[in-house]
Amino acid sequence: MTALRTTSGCSSLVFISFLVFIFVGRAGADVADNESVLSGIRLMPEGVTLVGANASQCFVVLGTYSDGMERDVTDQCHFTLSDTAVARFDMHRRLHPLADGTTTLTAELSGISAVTTLRVADVWRQQPISFVRNIRMILTKQGCNASDCHGGVKGRGGFKLSLDALDPRADYGWILNGGGFHVLSPEPLEPKEPRINLENPEQSLLLLKPTGEVSHEGGLQLEPDSREFRILLDWIHSGAPYGDNDDDSVAHLEVTPHDVVVTTEGHRQILVTARLSSGRRVDFTDQVRYESLDRDVVKVTRTGLVHAQAPGEARVVVRAVDHVTVTHVRVVEQPVASYPQVSRVNYIDELVLSKLEKFRIVPSELSGDAEFLRRVCLDLTGTLPPPDRVREFLDNKSAEKRDALISVLLDSPEFIDYWTFRLSDLFRVNGYYGWVHQSWEWVRKAVARNRPYDQIARELIAAQGYNGNSRHFLLGDNKPAPVERVVAEQFRVFMGRRLDCAQCHNHPFDQWTQDQFWGLAAFYGRLTNTEWYGDNVVFDDPDGHEVDFGDNGTDGLVFRRVMHPRTKVSVLPTFPDGQVLVEDRRIDPRQELAEWITSQDEFAEAAVNRFWRYFFGRGVVEPVDDFRIDNPPTHPELLRVLATDFREHGCDLRHLMRRIVSSRTYQLSNQPNETNQDDVLNYSHALARPLAAEVLLDAISSVSGVPEVFSGGGILTGAAPPGTRAINLKLPADYPSPFLEIYGRPKRDAVPERDERANLRQALHTLAGTTYNDKLRAEGGRIDELLRNNVSDQEIIEQFYLAAFSRDPQETELLALTKLLAGSLNHEEAVTDLLWALINSREFAENH
Amino acid sequence: MDLKKLIRTAATFDMPSRRRDLLRVGSLTFLGINLSQYLAIENAMAAASRQLQGKSEACILLWLNGGPSHIDMWDPKSNSSFKSISTNVPGIEISELLPQVSRHMDKLAIIRSMYSEENNHGKGHHYVMTGHRPSPTMKFPALGSIITKETTARNGVPPNVMVPKIHPGYLSYFKSHFIGAEYDPIFIPDPNDEDFSIPDLRLPKSVTTRRIHQRETFLDVVDRLYRRGVEHAEHANVDTFRKRALNMILSESVRRAFDISAEPDKLRDVYGRHTLGQSALIARRLVESGTRFVTVSDLHREGTGRDWDTHGKNDEQHRDHLVPQLDQTLAALLADLEDRGLLDTTMVIAMGEFGRTPDINSGGGRDHWCHCWSLTLGGGGIRGGRVIGESDERGAYVSDRMVTIGDLFATIYKAFGIDWTTEYLHPVGRPLKIANSLNDETGEPVEELM
Repeated sequence: MTALRTTSGCSSLVFISFLVFIFVGRAGADVADNESVLSGIRLMPEGVTLVGANASQCFVVLGTYSDGMERDVTDQCHFTLSDTAVARFDMHRRLHPLADGTTTLTAELSGISAVTTLRVADVWRQQPISFVRNIRMILTKQGCNASDCHGGVKGRGGFKLSLDALDPRADYGWILNGGGFHVLSPEPLEPKEPRINLENPEQSLLLLKPTGEVSHEGGLQLEPDSREFRILLDWIHSGAPYGDNDDDSVAHLEVTPHDVVVTTEGHRQILVTARLSSGRRVDFTDQVRYESLDRDVVKVTRTGLVHAQAPGEARVVVRAVDHVTVTHVRVVEQPVASYPQVSRVNYIDELVLSKLEKFRIVPSELSGDAEFLRRVCLDLTGTLPPPDRVREFLDNKSAEKRDALISVLLDSPEFIDYWTFRLSDLFRVNGYYGWVHQSWEWVRKAVARNRPYDQIARELIAAQGYNGNSRHFLLGDNKPAPVERVVAEQFRVFMGRRLDCAQCHNHPFDQWTQDQFWGLAAFYGRLTNTEWYGDNVVFDDPDGHEVDFGDNGTDGLVFRRVMHPRTKVSVLPTFPDGQVLVEDRRIDPRQELAEWITSQDEFAEAAVNRFWRYFFGRGVVEPVDDFRIDNPPTHPELLRVLATDFREHGCDLRHLMRRIVSSRTYQLSNQPNETNQDDVLNYSHALARPLAAEVLLDAISSVSGVPEVFSGGGILTGAAPPGTRAINLKLPADYPSPFLEIYGRPKRDAVPERDERANLRQALHTLAGTTYNDKLRAEGGRIDELLRNNVSDQEIIEQFYLAAFSRDPQETELLALTKLLAGSLNHEEAVTDLLWALINSREFAENH
Repeated sequence: MDLKKLIRTAATFDMPSRRRDLLRVGSLTFLGINLSQYLAIENAMAAASRQLQGKSEACILLWLNGGPSHIDMWDPKSNSSFKSISTNVPGIEISELLPQVSRHMDKLAIIRSMYSEENNHGKGHHYVMTGHRPSPTMKFPALGSIITKETTARNGVPPNVMVPKIHPGYLSYFKSHFIGAEYDPIFIPDPNDEDFSIPDLRLPKSVTTRRIHQRETFLDVVDRLYRRGVEHAEHANVDTFRKRALNMILSESVRRAFDISAEPDKLRDVYGRHTLGQSALIARRLVESGTRFVTVSDLHREGTGRDWDTHGKNDEQHRDHLVPQLDQTLAALLADLEDRGLLDTTMVIAMGEFGRTPDINSGGGRDHWCHCWSLTLGGGGIRGGRVIGESDERGAYVSDRMVTIGDLFATIYKAFGIDWTTEYLHPVGRPLKIANSLNDETGEPVEELM
């Protein structure tokens, strides 16, 4: 091949190259571990220009095989350069520049080749080493500023760095002067030992510690003969300059692959390319830190080589300064031979299927009618369909019956009951002395009238007086909650982000700073209320005063400022981008914040994610209030499209729910197949989810035909009207119920988190508790009716199955159960025991 | 990598056990472990070195709901209407309202310098039971649950019990939350009731062993198809718990542990025929059977004037109703435990969520006061017959040796042989101290008590 030479001195940074595939038939073609055959290879990246003395590039060759898999075959390839004077490979297969010019690079494997052209320019140009350009990158790459090391809240060993180099000025200070982090003061903690020694650079702690020359809790983190060590040393030698702010900084980090599937024997080299603000592309593969968050599925080396360990799905976090990306890797034993055609109903299916296909997971079949009926009734209304409606649906022959059912459910009164219950939990409808009524009514009206969700959010965040859910701000004891707790909660609920940790220090594993936290908290700085008893009115006091009642035995005016706990400076309401709320808008700061929050993309994403979880048991981001840089969505595009669709339809919750339950994805069967048995992240089949305590109790009541009696125990004494269902209790705290307490009904004094795991007290209750004994056999209940009307055993069983499982019993079940009933010593007891078994079964207690 | 194996490896190598020396030879990579593994080993080794032989094996907490008035009980002052009396420990005086307890002062220590930060019932309960101020974004585990978690259950009896059930709004302050529902207390009703029986621990009469088998048979048929198709890790857990529950229900020893009618009438009289007395008696019985932590809640019944929250008629309530019962029961409990040789291994604590104001209000009552209050504790390795800390002349503020809730917890944990510097990781990612004191510090055990 002839070398293509450019005219020397040309330092154009834009170079058009091309990638050439050459297929050379099957002679001597390579064979993968499962006997599939190599059909082609792909050389990456394309269009490489090495600029400057320190540039280098890593290459990856992917082989396409007859089983449809792409495998990393880099280490099996033979590489040749057309002009060896222009560039050379080191022993780690990394390419370095030698002289300005152009060369082609050929990779060859089993007779198949791929070629690319690459260019070298400015080979003699050295860039001065500065803190802001080079050292920050090394600290991040070597992991010095990781959250469990010096990047942790208080640093380690008396040395503090900001997490992921977020605050370079502060880091520069810590390195130059030493000292530790004080949670309650901006002064550095003694002792202050400078980390570098300008007179005697080799004696700098920054070098001695990580190389083990001086004892280092973190152990050996730097090799003395490494490039990083040399850069650090040279930097200190040159006076440890901070450097100017990088005018050619990283604008975007491209990580390849993004979602990839490998076999259990497989490996894959990650390629990281930085696109600089000038447009130039630079290889960053050896300048970032790799971390596998699921090390039993894949492990990743320091140089970005991913090794499969066991089947499953893993996230690999790639960290560069100011940029964090996550790659999903799926490990399979045997890739599926050919991927079938799967039908789709809406964009949810499109996006879910595209990932399933990439990951070689075949979704299950569509659910049967009975399965779908029970699931959608529980998910939309929290109510089991009565036996006659089950029969009606199962017998209906219409092709549109599922859509028709969805419409019926969305318009049903039970829909309003159920979602009032769910939102009452989320918005903590609580409070004493009868105040709970208007809060509950506000939620119910919002659901009944299908009020747009952003409007609901604004009404809550800015709730004033006696309106709506203004009680929400009185954290249980009728005084306004401290601002830091209010802002933490509202951000969790509406923005899906856990700011909480940033209250005392910069967030330990996300990018929130303490300053941002307190700037947001300041929006609640005027929140106060009038009186403890009587008319407890919530409002924003224009003077920012708060009246202190009774605790110290005196009344006094206490000025309530929002003060930064570290700097002890009064904080004004400030948006996260640093913009302070202008003075003439500070009368109603919560209104301003409400409008800001609801207009953010994050608001829509957090909302759709939260409601998605009600239908699938898992958010696209999970937990739903923990959107974080290293907790990525499993389906980012899906989340984005759902959020856009939601916005475009005016944040209409019913519209969102209809989209979800109409999708084929939602309606998939719960029976897994061979390819998707262990999949819990990609919606390949329906997963079983436990019923919420209230829904379970109501279901038991409806199947047994015995309504639950809720007698009051608190301020609002007296029993609830007969027939009140658990989901309709306005103020749960006033209607104690052993069953609900054992099954984890939340108290509404904190964001709702239900522990859905089995436990001993539940087990005791199922054996000996009233719900599972007295309630089954009470007068007027279903058993009573059936026995009094002398219904046959077969029909008893069928009625129970329709009521509890929304299906007909199978032949085998019918046979076995009629036999048991017939052979029992006491028929009535046996029927009761059958009912006991039904409501104790996993099929009953789960939504599947 | 098996942590225990690594610790053993580190120990058997001829390496110095000191951490810094270990590092000087650059041995991290030699052992083939990474930083976080190393730090985990380091924590485990440090914890092992801090492990003490705790004396205490169980704890009975007399929870004086509502906040007892400290200057009218443990810390007599001139602004109390009551006089002080001497005790069987020279130099220690307590209120005249506690004559029977005064004869057991050698078994008890009084802390007069307690300091807490929440002055409201709900929040006060939360603070004093968990050491943290309540938050709408987080739930914290209670002292009893932590002790249950850090000790092993004994003899198949429930390890954590609350008797009788407190106001439903306060239940969650006594629970384990994220550390696991298996450490939650079991709530039992008032043993002073004539028809006292434990719900959920006794099968209804109509449910015989035969019927239990019948039910299991039905369940097997009913769930077979479903469980074969939809396999789920939780299913196995449900089975396990049901087996354990059945064992507990059928167990004779568990039944006996809760059978207060087996106690001689005379002893029941000595403890006092009221909720507090009978609950303390059943607590002793439970501890004898192997329960680790019993909370006796002196029921906060709104509006009956029977609770410790004496915003009105403080003196009358304390003198005529509240303190005499406590006096009788606490004295009886201490004597009974000593007689049975259980006092050395059973800690007894009597406290509320705060104290009461040094000043009388217009209704003749005292209001909430968290800035300085008292509690008393003894047994389980706590050295009795002493007073810790001092309050000012009115009992309003701590004047010497403040003790925070974190310090109290640290003391209790140390007595149990639990490492009080332990931190649990909340699912949110925040480490939570089990003995959380002020300013984000860990509490210090009160050495004068150990």
